[in-house]
Amino acid sequence: MPAHPLQPFFRQRGWKPFPFQKECWAAYAAGKSGLLHAPTGLGKTLAVWGGPLIECLSHRQSPIDNPPSCSALWLTPLRALAQDTLRALREPLEILAPQLQVEARTGDSSAATRARLRKKLPFALVTTPESLSLMLTHADTRDQFAGLRAVIVDEWHELLGTKRGVQTELCLARLRHWLPGLRVWGLSATLGNLDEARDVLLGDRAADAVTLSADLKKDLRIDTLIPREIDRFPWAGHLGTRLAPQVVREIEKARSTLLFTNTRSQTEIWHQELLALRPDWKEVLAMHHGSLDRAEREKVEQGLRDGSLRCVVCTSSLDLGVDFSPVDQVLQVGSPKGIARLLQRAGRSGHQPGKTSRVLGVPTHAMELVEFAAVRDAARARHIEARRPLLKPLDVLVQHLVTCAIGEAFEPAEMRREIQSCRAFQGLSDTEWDWCLAFISSGGRALAAYPRYQKARLENGRFTVDDKRLIAQHRLSIGTISSDPHVSVRFANGQTLGTVEEGFISRLKPGQLMVFAGRKLELVRFHQKIATVRPATRDAKGHVAIWGGSKMPLSNELAHAMAARLRGDGPPSPEMKAVAPILAIQRRWSELPDDRILLVEHTRSRDGEHLFLYPMAGRLVHEGLGALLAYRLRLGDSVTVTQNDYGFCLSARRGLEIGEESIRLNLSIENLLEDLVACLNTAELARRQFREVARVAGLVLQSLPGRQQRGQRELQSSARLLFEVLERYDPDNLLLLQSQREILEKQLEFSRLKESLIDLQQRPIHWIETEKLTPMAFPLWADRLSATLPAGDAASRLEQMLEELHRAAAL
Amino acid sequence: MNIPILHQTIDLLPGGAARLADGTLVVADLHLGKATAFQARGLAIPEGDSAADLDRLRTICEQAAATRLLINGDLFHSPAGLSPEIEHLLESWLASLSIPVQLILGNHDRAIRRIPAALNPVASLEAAGFLLVHDPAEAPADRPTITAHWHPVAKITDGRRSSLRLPCFLARGGSLVLPAFGSFTGGVVIAPEPGDRFFVAPAERVVEVPGSLLRR
Repeated sequence: MPAHPLQPFFRQRGWKPFPFQKECWAAYAAGKSGLLHAPTGLGKTLAVWGGPLIECLSHRQSPIDNPPSCSALWLTPLRALAQDTLRALREPLEILAPQLQVEARTGDSSAATRARLRKKLPFALVTTPESLSLMLTHADTRDQFAGLRAVIVDEWHELLGTKRGVQTELCLARLRHWLPGLRVWGLSATLGNLDEARDVLLGDRAADAVTLSADLKKDLRIDTLIPREIDRFPWAGHLGTRLAPQVVREIEKARSTLLFTNTRSQTEIWHQELLALRPDWKEVLAMHHGSLDRAEREKVEQGLRDGSLRCVVCTSSLDLGVDFSPVDQVLQVGSPKGIARLLQRAGRSGHQPGKTSRVLGVPTHAMELVEFAAVRDAARARHIEARRPLLKPLDVLVQHLVTCAIGEAFEPAEMRREIQSCRAFQGLSDTEWDWCLAFISSGGRALAAYPRYQKARLENGRFTVDDKRLIAQHRLSIGTISSDPHVSVRFANGQTLGTVEEGFISRLKPGQLMVFAGRKLELVRFHQKIATVRPATRDAKGHVAIWGGSKMPLSNELAHAMAARLRGDGPPSPEMKAVAPILAIQRRWSELPDDRILLVEHTRSRDGEHLFLYPMAGRLVHEGLGALLAYRLRLGDSVTVTQNDYGFCLSARRGLEIGEESIRLNLSIENLLEDLVACLNTAELARRQFREVARVAGLVLQSLPGRQQRGQRELQSSARLLFEVLERYDPDNLLLLQSQREILEKQLEFSRLKESLIDLQQRPIHWIETEKLTPMAFPLWADRLSATLPAGDAASRLEQMLEELHRAAAL
Repeated sequence: MNIPILHQTIDLLPGGAARLADGTLVVADLHLGKATAFQARGLAIPEGDSAADLDRLRTICEQAAATRLLINGDLFHSPAGLSPEIEHLLESWLASLSIPVQLILGNHDRAIRRIPAALNPVASLEAAGFLLVHDPAEAPADRPTITAHWHPVAKITDGRRSSLRLPCFLARGGSLVLPAFGSFTGGVVIAPEPGDRFFVAPAERVVEVPGSLLRR
């Protein structure tokens, strides 16, 4: 084999290239684009970075020629990852070609850095999708990228299925339009639909592309902490800290631990619980979640890097971004929810090639023992969830069109071809395209409604934006991440701890205690979006901060694996052995739920009648099914619906003797959308979703907290108000429709719900009258006191409230 | 609905207007041209409210047989919103009214250079025993006042998950705070204080919101 240009670096490190790395370099050299699937910590960076490096090194004639202009672009989804990436990309260059520069340009970059990079780009640039979009608004970007040969998209699985992913698709289409020979490579963790992920990344250039896998079987061990007394172990509940003492012993065994939880509140609770058991860990036990102040999070990330922390309790905020940090072990508290997710989390330990990744499951109730056994089966069988790409988010498209028009005037037909080369907009209709052009130029189809509006204007058949103020405003608002307005929590001296939701803080009175950011705090005052706190001096239980937002549902793949376990499939496992007594009770009183039948239990209790159904389709689908059934059966206002990941329950005083036939009939997909819209307050939900859509589409100004510009105040308006105005004066506005579609997918997993209904049609109903609440039923029954979703017709409920209002007024 | 404010009485009408004993009608916060101001800054918000709002106001004046109309501040939104179209709209509207109109200046109006002289703008005004001033912060506590500015909204809940936001009249101390009349104005949910009374008009009639239905 001829010596390849990277050899000095490998020799210096004492490494040998892995076969998949060589494959990657060869594919790149052959001019191909593709997707590399590799778990973290297996040399995936060198695999995709090697191609452009080799190309550059072997084409240079003399060692002291001019450094080439920007040849490679590295997109990372996380700003926090940029620094780690820089380090990894620079390492081989230090040995091989120290004169080649790699720099990062993200939202965190200083103004000076940005100004320097505006003038001249380095050999390789690390950036985010947002920063790349921003670069497209500068007229000279096309020239600066003239020498660009490769774009590498890191952690593509994180972007896929999100609006940021679509933004990335659009930016890549722009670059490909400029540079037809551009090679694009994605890096992805394990997904069930890798080829689709690749095709979305590459758009209309996917035909000749490759998918490569780092075929190093990385050993993965999934173990579970088995509770000592299973009969005393809760059947349900999702905040149980019963196993905390055992968890402490596990943490003691390792040098460093990541303890993953499923929610921010759970993170706070476990942090408190562990501290209570080991007060001496105050300095080495930290927490990390998305609502903590950035400085605080960075401190924790640094602590992980330098190994000064023993344990970090965290949420998915650390799913990414600890790539280069050594962790000995990973613990997962509560349901893993999905296989891909647990694999990703497990990958945070045993990072080096050849080492075993190990994750230890910490169940919080009995059924989670089955989930952990099932997740191991599915991981072994490689039954991994797919991540579905997003289709036609028009808010992202109109933002991108303005971005492009600012950079250089575009010709509509040509631009449409470019846009439709993206998977997300392949099926863009004439109506949609015309609407988008109208939206950015004259406001919408209802022309007369927008007399003063003009953003992009047509000049010689090309759309352009030249109003300086509009350009500045658009640059500020590029991006698709919308943050909810939150209340900032800070000490009197100004130190910020993070953010909580207004709904939570407004229920507290000054003087009351709360738990947030791992501390016990006393609320001093709450005024104008700022909650001032001080450390609590009293020793009492505080209210743990809670955040809204739906909990992640159990994935279909994991539900199927669970059903298989409940049927008795799979090798013997400690989890199934431990949970056997509880499953025996379930079997004695009823049946075990399964995904091949529909188990229905009917029970009477002192407070009424209950109907339990177990489709095993995840909590969001169950929420939709419950509301739908209650609505279609005309159960009215007397019924409450509760749901979890395994099933749902209808409770009423009486009237639930419904019968199989009726259930079967009412689980049809006929009129599904209409019925859901009628029984859930979708109008209200869509209004809420509209905030994000309006932000991305540029209907509301992005105001930076504390940096409100003068003259902006009179342009403030709530998304709710905009929604109402649009509904009234421009009802054909496609953004309204999009909000509704998004909310149905987000709140109810509409597509999955539809598939579930089709599936349920085929499943025989096993109807069982039970005398007592079964282990499966109990948690659903216990939840009825906190039932959140009153079934029935939202409109009629509002009427009732008004009637009540009138009645009260008449007294 | 007639309610007492200190020793005076005032009639609250559906649609957000109040009628004084001498037949004077008071409204506030129309924010004419607000959508236009948004459009001028590149935000595609449809225009359509200003004309509809003015028509609605004329109808209320006629139905209430008002003898004059007082606008208690923020008739306009911003200079950028005062387009020739809006100016023209206002002019013909004023001409179509058969009663005198006067504007009490609100914070937004103060930025407007060309307020039509026919509106005879003043900082505050006495009418039928009330002092009219736009900002509640400038209202003296010891006498009956009519204010606006807050765009008060009552949040009514059924104790489960549904809630309604309705623009409301707020009676607090000696002051009546008017709801915003303009339809593209938004509002602020007012946290109830002891002694507060909230009045809404969900349909054809003004009713008082019982404390039990208000969001705490």
